[in-house]
Amino acid sequence: MKLKKTLAFLLSAMMTASLTACGGGQAASSSAAPASSAAPAESSAASVAEPAGAEVEITWWAFPTFGQENADDPVGTYEQKIIDAFQDANPGIKVKLDTIDFTNGPEKIVSAIEGGNAPDVLFDAPGRIIEYGNNGKLVPLDDLFTADFIADVNNDALIEACKGKGTPYMYPISSSPFYMAINKQMWEDAGAMEFVNLEGDRTWSTADWEKAIEKLAAAGMNPGTVFCNGQGGDQGTRAFITNLYGATIANPEMTEYTANSEAGVQALTKMKEWIDKGWLGDGVSNTAANDIELFATGFSSFAFCWGTSTALAQAPNMEAASVTPISLPFPSDDGVPELEYLVNGFCVFDNGDAARADAAKKLIQFICDDPEWGPKDVVRTGAFPVRQSFAEKDLYAGNEEYAVLENFTKYYAPYYNTMDGFANMRTEWWNMLQNVISNGTDPKEALDAYVAASNAGMNAA
Amino acid sequence: MGQSNPAAAPQKSLSHVLQRRETTVAYLFLLPALLFFAAFVIVPMIMGVVTSLFNYTMKSPVSAESFVGLGNYIELFKDKVFLRSMWNTVVIVVVSVPAVTFFSLWVGSAIYQKTGWIRSFFRGVFYLPVVTGSVTVVVVWKWMFDFQRGIFNWALKSSGLIEKNINWLGDQKVAIWCILLILFTTSVGQPIVLYVAALGNVDQSQVEAAQVDGATKLQTFWQIKWPAIKPTTLYVLVITTINSFQCFALIQLLTSGGPSNSTSTVMYYLYRNAFSLYRYGYANAMGVILAIIIAIFSALQFKTMNTGVEY
Repeated sequence: MKLKKTLAFLLSAMMTASLTACGGGQAASSSAAPASSAAPAESSAASVAEPAGAEVEITWWAFPTFGQENADDPVGTYEQKIIDAFQDANPGIKVKLDTIDFTNGPEKIVSAIEGGNAPDVLFDAPGRIIEYGNNGKLVPLDDLFTADFIADVNNDALIEACKGKGTPYMYPISSSPFYMAINKQMWEDAGAMEFVNLEGDRTWSTADWEKAIEKLAAAGMNPGTVFCNGQGGDQGTRAFITNLYGATIANPEMTEYTANSEAGVQALTKMKEWIDKGWLGDGVSNTAANDIELFATGFSSFAFCWGTSTALAQAPNMEAASVTPISLPFPSDDGVPELEYLVNGFCVFDNGDAARADAAKKLIQFICDDPEWGPKDVVRTGAFPVRQSFAEKDLYAGNEEYAVLENFTKYYAPYYNTMDGFANMRTEWWNMLQNVISNGTDPKEALDAYVAASNAGMNAA
Repeated sequence: MGQSNPAAAPQKSLSHVLQRRETTVAYLFLLPALLFFAAFVIVPMIMGVVTSLFNYTMKSPVSAESFVGLGNYIELFKDKVFLRSMWNTVVIVVVSVPAVTFFSLWVGSAIYQKTGWIRSFFRGVFYLPVVTGSVTVVVVWKWMFDFQRGIFNWALKSSGLIEKNINWLGDQKVAIWCILLILFTTSVGQPIVLYVAALGNVDQSQVEAAQVDGATKLQTFWQIKWPAIKPTTLYVLVITTINSFQCFALIQLLTSGGPSNSTSTVMYYLYRNAFSLYRYGYANAMGVILAIIIAIFSALQFKTMNTGVEY
C-alpha cells in the first residue's frame, strides 16, 4: 500500500514537473521575444561579425513561391538546396526551413507574431510584408538598399513597393505582371479571334472585348467568371474592371481609395450587364482557384487571374485538356492597359536579436544576389528578375512567351498594395462584387459603400 | 452509552491523517489536468475578456493608451455585419439543433432493435462524415454544389426539373440552407450512436410491463423510454447547440461568409477580424458575446431538460 502511494506521488510529481517545465520553456521563449513596442534590432549585415565559433540559428518560413526543379520533388526541396549552399558559405549560421501554404500560412504568421515566435525570414509579397513592417514587426532593410542595388533595379515604382511609409521592409528578388488568358481553340471556334491583337504587346480595346464575348456566348462557349468568393486572386477582377474605362483603385498619392469614379461605375454597370446576358460568368461562389481550374480544364474560354506561376502550375491540367492559353493584357478603353503585378521578396522579423537579424539579412542577400544562386532562384520563381544585371543574362532565353510577357512590365500600374488598410480594402472589394452580382445592388451605391468602408479602414489602420 | 472509548481519539486522529493523505494524493493526481485546464482554458478566457476592453491590434498592444472600456462592445452592436452574422448564427442554431435531435432520435429508435450488423451499418454510414476530415467533406460538397459543373445541377437539369443552373452557394436565399444541410450531415453521427446506446439500455421489463398493461407504442415511448433517455437528449442538445454556435470551418471553406454576408457567422466574422484585419480586441469582444449567449442557451437547456434527470 505504501509502495503504491509512493509510486502514485512520484508519478503525479513527475507529471506536474514535466508540465511546469513545458510552461517554463514557453514563458522563457515568450519573454525573450520582443514586445511589439520594442525598438527594432539595430544591425548591419556588413558590419556585424559573429563571435568566433558561435553559431546563430535562424528560421525561414517559405510560401511555395519557388517552383521545384522536378515535378516529384516534395515542397521545400529547392529551398533546402539553397540553405545547404548558404550554410557551406556561412559556417556560423544554421538555417531551419518551414514551408507554409497560402491557405493557412497567413494565419500561422499572425499567430506566430502575436505569440512571440515569428520566423527570422519570410518569403512573401509586399501586401502582407509592408503591413507587418508598418506595425513595427520587421527589421528595416535600409542597409540592403544600397545605391548600387537601387541603380541595378532602376525602377522607382518597384523600389517604392518594397517600402512602408518610406522604410524598406522587403528585399525583392523577382516580379511579374498579372494578366488574363484566353483559350485559343475556343476563341477560334467562336470566331472571336478577329478581335484579339496578337502583335506587339497584344493590347486591345474594351469595344473589341465586348464584341468578342458576345460572339463567344453566341457560339455557346462558357465564359470565365467574375470570381468573388474570397479575396484570393482579387487583383484579377480589380484589374479587369478598372481597365475597362480607365478607373483607378487609389489616387496617385496613395492616400485615398477612388474606385467609385464615373469610370468605375460605368465599368461595374457593364460587368453586371454582361453577367445578366451570360457573356460573363457569375462567380459569386467561385474562388480564383475555381475559376482558374475551369479555364485550365477547358471548361471556360477565359480567365482573369493569370500569371507566370499560374501558367506553370496549370500546365499539366491544360495539357490533359488540350488547352492552349494565350496571355493577354486586360482590355482598356484607350488600348493602354494598367497591369497589377507581383513582387516576390524577403523580410526579416524583429526578434530582438541583432545576431539573428544579421544572419537573416545575409541569407536573403545570398538568395537574391549570389552570382550563382541569385539568377537560378529568380528562374525558380517563374518571374522576371528585379535586377537589370540579371535580366541582361537573358534568364528565359528562347522562351517566346516570356519575351511577350516581359513587354507587359511596361504597363505596371501604380502599386497600391502597400497602402494602409489594404487588407480591409480587399475584403470590401469581393463583398462589393457579391452585392452587385448576387444582391442586385446598384453599382454606384455599391462602389460608394466600398470606397467609404475602404477609406474608413485606411484611417483606422 | 456516555462512556468514552480510550482508543477512539487516537483512531480518529489516525483516520484524519489517512484521509488527508488520500486527499493530497487525489489532488496531486488532479494537479496536472488542473494546470493544463488553467493554462489553456481559464487563462486564455480571462485574457480574452480583458483584451476585449482594449483597442488591441497588431500595431497597438494592450496598454493604458489602447484601453477603450466597453468601446468594442458598443461598436459591435452598431456593426451591421456582426448583427447579420449573429442573426445567421441564431438561424443555424434554431434550425440545426431540433433537426439534428429529432432525426437522430428517429434513426436511433428505428435501428436500435435491429440485428447487430444492420445497427453497425447505419451507425457507420451516419458516423462516416464525423470521422472524415471537415476539409475533405466540404470539398466534396463544394463539387456537388458547383454552379457550373456540380452534380446537383446536372441531375436536376437532366431530369428536366430546372432549365438554368442554380447557384447554390452564390444565391443569398439558398446558400444558408446548403450550409445547414452539410452541418446536419456532419452533426447527426454522434447523436445517433448515443441514442442507439441509450435506447438499448432502457429497462426492457418496464417496456414489457407497459405493453402488458395495454400501452400503445407512443405511450410506451413517452412514458417509459423518453424519461430514460433524457440525460442523453440533454447532452445531445447542449453539444449540438455549442457546435452550431461555433460553426466556422464550413463557412470558411465553402462561402467565406458570402454572398453579401448571408452565411457569415459570429465565429467566422471573429476570425476575419482577428486574422485578416488584425483587430484582436474587437474579435475578442465577439468571442465574449458568443460565450455569454452559448452559456445562456446551455443554462436554459439544463433548466428545461434537467427536471427528473438522474445520472
